[in-house]
Amino acid sequence: MSLLSQVLTILLNGLQQGAIYVLLAVGLSIILGTLKFVNFAHGALYLLGAYLGLFITTEIQLTNGMLPEWGITTFGIGLGFLAALVVVPIVTFFVGLAMERFVAQPFYDRPDTDQILVTFGLAVIFQEALRALIGGDSQSLPQPGWASGPIALPIIGNFPRWRLGVIVITAVLVLFVYALVEYTDFGLIVRAGTMDSEMVRLLGIRLDRPYLVVFGIGAALAGVAGVVGGPLANVNPNIGTEQLVPAFLTVVIGGVGKIEGAVLAGLLLGTLQVVLIQTGFAAWNRVGIYVLAALILLVRPQGLLGSEVSVE
Amino acid sequence: MSDEPGDAATAAEVSEEPGFGDRLAALQDSELAVVGIAAVGVLVFPLVFNNLLNGYTQLATLVLVWGIFALGFDILLGYTGLLSFGHALFWGGAAYAAGIFSASVSGQPVLVILFGTLVAVLMAWIVGFLSLRRGGIYFAILTLTFGQMAFYLSSSPLAFLTNGENGFTSVSIAPLFGVLDLHGSLGGPLGMLPGNTLYLFVGAVTVLSIALANRILKSPYGIVFKAIRENESRAEFVGLDVWRYKLMAFVISALFAGISGSLFTIEGNYVPLSSLYWTTSGEVVIMTVLGGVGSLFGPLFGAAVYLYIEFIVSGMDVVGPFWHLILGLVFVIVVVLFPDGIWGGITAIRDYVGGDR
Repeated sequence: MSLLSQVLTILLNGLQQGAIYVLLAVGLSIILGTLKFVNFAHGALYLLGAYLGLFITTEIQLTNGMLPEWGITTFGIGLGFLAALVVVPIVTFFVGLAMERFVAQPFYDRPDTDQILVTFGLAVIFQEALRALIGGDSQSLPQPGWASGPIALPIIGNFPRWRLGVIVITAVLVLFVYALVEYTDFGLIVRAGTMDSEMVRLLGIRLDRPYLVVFGIGAALAGVAGVVGGPLANVNPNIGTEQLVPAFLTVVIGGVGKIEGAVLAGLLLGTLQVVLIQTGFAAWNRVGIYVLAALILLVRPQGLLGSEVSVE
Repeated sequence: MSDEPGDAATAAEVSEEPGFGDRLAALQDSELAVVGIAAVGVLVFPLVFNNLLNGYTQLATLVLVWGIFALGFDILLGYTGLLSFGHALFWGGAAYAAGIFSASVSGQPVLVILFGTLVAVLMAWIVGFLSLRRGGIYFAILTLTFGQMAFYLSSSPLAFLTNGENGFTSVSIAPLFGVLDLHGSLGGPLGMLPGNTLYLFVGAVTVLSIALANRILKSPYGIVFKAIRENESRAEFVGLDVWRYKLMAFVISALFAGISGSLFTIEGNYVPLSSLYWTTSGEVVIMTVLGGVGSLFGPLFGAAVYLYIEFIVSGMDVVGPFWHLILGLVFVIVVVLFPDGIWGGITAIRDYVGGDR
């Protein structure tokens, strides 16, 4: 294997490893950057997405109606996974709206420690409610049929198709959110609100609805992350709390509110993990990302792409 | 103790006949009274807990151990206004340090606690120094980061020290001062007291910890913590080195976490790896907030309620499997509606009975 192909393989694997962090972090980041709301329940939304995805891909059988007439009797793996990819973000979007309205809004004026506390409590409730409903066992969410097996890539050679799928899905979603925030009127209002919400309100623009939508989008991204990340590891009630910490790190390393920052940081953390695993330091791969995070934050407390002004 | 007459005088000036609440408040200001109340509380607690509430002495011991942790955590969260999500590092770190010390140096309980606490304080100095560069959520995330770093370090790269996933099992605790076996039962006249030797030992440490926390918080030094919580920039303007005080609040809270973690090792003879996981930090947050932030006894109540739900309610038929869910709901309700927690509720009733408000 040539050096080039080795490097590319590591990068691609890092991209895949970091993709889940990125999906979670972009949502967290826009909520934190725009609404100034700390959502410790973001991992719970990931958990919800994973379980919902598991439910849709494996459970739903169709016995009557139009779809069976067309020959679709079950949303088995394959098609069910596509269905999950569509349904889960919609459901989590509305969960996000509800959270903004009933949890975040009453806490905008309270200290951020209170925000952390209430969302942390909410995360515990989500996690334990799911555990009570479904049980604490680890379950596996199978890879969709259309994306299993390897794919031959130029230079790199064979690469697991699903891992490439994860990268593609992440890229599409993140580009969509980026375009939404950077190039639409909605994004303009949101960005203006981030900089000076009081001024935006004085201009006669109501920020309530954009804020609601931002929270919804963030929640939907966490839900998708759950579906996409499901097949990569087992699904159990603890995965939400496990993913929350690296996701927060990605946000803070990248710079709060910066989508590019979240992507860069996710890629960095993912690549570091892959490099450590492949060079024989597998035991250090988890420690590594925290050390890297601590080092970056000590040198640049505002994050890699964060601006000095937005500190605190 | 010294300011008791002064306070009594002020109370008398306000109203000729000091009300019940006034007298109680004056009593709380006296250091000796606080220690006395704590000591009586520690002695009475197992009687009430075991007989009326279906508890057992081992759980009562555990309540005190976690109570010390929450007490220290409250100095940081309730008094200084800093929310750390990395205190598992100091608690679990001290537990491991105490265990390793007992196995390889000396099993003398007092030395074990001193060593565990020392390790926690040193770690807190470093972590606090690094984390306090940022406030609010950044502080919470940085402490979380350092805590998780320690968890993953202990789980594999340092497994030769910590025994990795299996937890540290070779704890060996010697009899206290060479005579009193902590895990044995009480003999002679001491047998009249509630609880066992271990409970009384932990109880004594608890009373000392409460006395220490009270002394710190009532001193001018501790009052600065409150000033920082109320208005950080104003504290800065009057010339206080806010950063130093925050760091000291962090280190002091870790000191209590260290005492508690070491006691946990002595109590259980075992250190689980999960003691370093960030959910342990979450548990102490829940305990402190449940009990009531910004009060001396609140966190101890919180620890009691938390562990009671964890160990007693979880054994009940109908609600048992949902104990964590119940706890989460109660926690959220407290955060949203009763920011002063259970202890805040008790003080409100006391003030009402005392006719202060």
